[in-house]
Amino acid sequence: MNTKAKEKSQIKVITGNAAAAIGAQLARPDVVAAYPITPQTEIIEQISKFHANGEMDCELITVEGENSAMNAVMAASLAGGRVFTATSSWGLAFMYDAVLATSGARAPVVMVNVNRETPGIIAVSSGQQDMISTRDAGWIFLIAEDCQEILDLVLQAYRLAEDYDIQVPVMVHYDGFYLSYLSEVVDVPLQEDVDRFLSVLKDQPERTKLIPGGKLGCGSHGILGGYLELRHKHVCARESSKAKFEQIDKEYQEIFGRGYGGQIEEYRMDDADVVLVGSGSMCGTIKTVIDEKRDAGVKVGLLKIRMYRPFPSEVMVKALKGKKAIGVVDRSLCFGFKGGPIYTELKAFETQLGGSKMISFIDGIANTDITIVNVEQMIDATCDLAAGKDVREVTWVSYPEAQEDGGL
Amino acid sequence: MTQKKKGKLTKVLDYLKHDDPFSKGVAFCPGCSLELLIRFIPQVLGNDIVITGTPSCSAPVLLGQNNQSWHSLSYFGTLMTGAAANATGLARYYRKAGIDNTVICFNGDGTAADIGFGNLAGAAERNEPFIYICYDNEGYMNTGIQKSATTPFGASTTTTPFGSASKGKNLRRMNLALKMAMHKIPYTATATMSDLGDLAKKLLKAKEAKERGFAFLHVFAPCPTGWGYAPENTIEVCRRAVKTNYFPLWEAENGKIRMTKTVKKPKPVSTYTELIKKFAHLDEADLQILQDDIDYEYCLLGGLSVLEAECQLPVSAED
Repeated sequence: MNTKAKEKSQIKVITGNAAAAIGAQLARPDVVAAYPITPQTEIIEQISKFHANGEMDCELITVEGENSAMNAVMAASLAGGRVFTATSSWGLAFMYDAVLATSGARAPVVMVNVNRETPGIIAVSSGQQDMISTRDAGWIFLIAEDCQEILDLVLQAYRLAEDYDIQVPVMVHYDGFYLSYLSEVVDVPLQEDVDRFLSVLKDQPERTKLIPGGKLGCGSHGILGGYLELRHKHVCARESSKAKFEQIDKEYQEIFGRGYGGQIEEYRMDDADVVLVGSGSMCGTIKTVIDEKRDAGVKVGLLKIRMYRPFPSEVMVKALKGKKAIGVVDRSLCFGFKGGPIYTELKAFETQLGGSKMISFIDGIANTDITIVNVEQMIDATCDLAAGKDVREVTWVSYPEAQEDGGL
Repeated sequence: MTQKKKGKLTKVLDYLKHDDPFSKGVAFCPGCSLELLIRFIPQVLGNDIVITGTPSCSAPVLLGQNNQSWHSLSYFGTLMTGAAANATGLARYYRKAGIDNTVICFNGDGTAADIGFGNLAGAAERNEPFIYICYDNEGYMNTGIQKSATTPFGASTTTTPFGSASKGKNLRRMNLALKMAMHKIPYTATATMSDLGDLAKKLLKAKEAKERGFAFLHVFAPCPTGWGYAPENTIEVCRRAVKTNYFPLWEAENGKIRMTKTVKKPKPVSTYTELIKKFAHLDEADLQILQDDIDYEYCLLGGLSVLEAECQLPVSAED
């Protein structure tokens, strides 16, 4: 880490939720909509405190539900404001229509989603099912591994969402419970540096804004060619966000001394024969186990997904091509398929991977810990696959019953 | 419209100080009260308003298609679920940015009284600085005449059809305006197209009131297509709704109710329902149920206006 940059910041021990709140505060949003839900609540409590103490000059809307949270920030964003809100799980589901409308309207909203399960059983527990269930909503999805990355990604998200060439809302995801309430050392940047990092947005052409008397309609009835044009531009903007994110990450590193590699982070991948693909807080554990396995002579690496939507297929194919075996760890389910969602998506690029074999691991749902033992098991199975042994395609790591006869 | 000949105008036209921002021919049904209303609002309040609207009868005209529009107003087309929250976001951002604004959240009763009632109530509770106008055509007219919370007792709709085992809607209608007045917001009012001077005054009062917070207008907007009456009778339907106390005209500042038009000898509700096909199947006993409900609601309104005067709302709550 660049020590020079460190002198221009302050070290704090804070939770992931506090890191998200401070990230939002540093971005100086005009309008914030706040509604509580476990495990996100601490974010909006912190922001409310900043607001009450005069440390955050924003319009704070204490809405009566998540649906209104998204609708309020969408409109404020289209009017020209910088906005922030945060949610989780059922909250994300309750605002789903507005989530779709926000991306369709190309409103550069930034929202934090603290990942939590969303099954019929009310599970107040971690899991990425909320993220998976909204992956086709047209937003850009970023995933943080630790508390530091949460803060960094919130700031990077504004550069991405509000970029004139992008103008697509960005959701920053991190694991509920594992990161939301975990206190870690976080290097909090100074306001002046954040202002400098975000000032690029002021130099670009002004985006279209809905202002009184402006003779502008937002959300007109798009049909036939008009709708196709807007949808195609939306897809193109999302695709171009991949390269933009890499560039933003580099600029971030120049100012703050921390870079993550853009769309994906490659950990000990160069000479790796087998690779685990993961995202979020599990990556810390996976890195630890990889270090141990490396000491034992196993050539294993990690590909961490930082940008999940758009799907970083190009950089993933480049990084994974020629690897003997790939184990994809999903913290969610893909109903309709046996394997996890990220596994299923990566399978679409199988022919481009040059013969790499793939298996799916499902773990970490409903607060089942992705332990060191679990990761060791995943690496061993992936090594077995590389060695040509018979390995089951899908493994529910913390639920051995799934592997019994008749199970998937 | 801006230049008017003196001495030849009625009082109502004096309120129309601004241009009509809509094109001459728009896609409403003949006799639509909504068209009159949306042309009227910007002529009274100015063309620098921002309107938010939802999928509804107003949408085909307010939304426009692709980059074509029927009007020159700033418009935000949005979802029925979160209309009041959209208006909140706009008004709050304009306030933060120091931009003068009149945001009008313009919705039918489906949005206001049914699917969007939660966020309407939320915006009222937070006293958000904008005007909410509900044009009440007593159901989902745009999707083909379905029942809503404001559909009155006895009305036949496509989801409460009159049949051998049904008299139409067998429930009371929601008194939306009274509910909103109970939020003690700066301004609540009812209005309709037979009393345009009254409507204009209330629009101007709402604009003034939104400087202090939330303003709500409940506009009775009959629908010839959905209700089954001749298009040329729209204003007469409005007039009789007022004269029977079916739709009394009143306003409330911080919840203090005041009648803006008192009907000395209210006509029986049958003089109103006789114009409208959706009530045609009701017999005398059914009409009496409707009449009793109208009498009850009117009595309650009068009682509340007296009580509000007696029970002083704390001054702090009025700010």
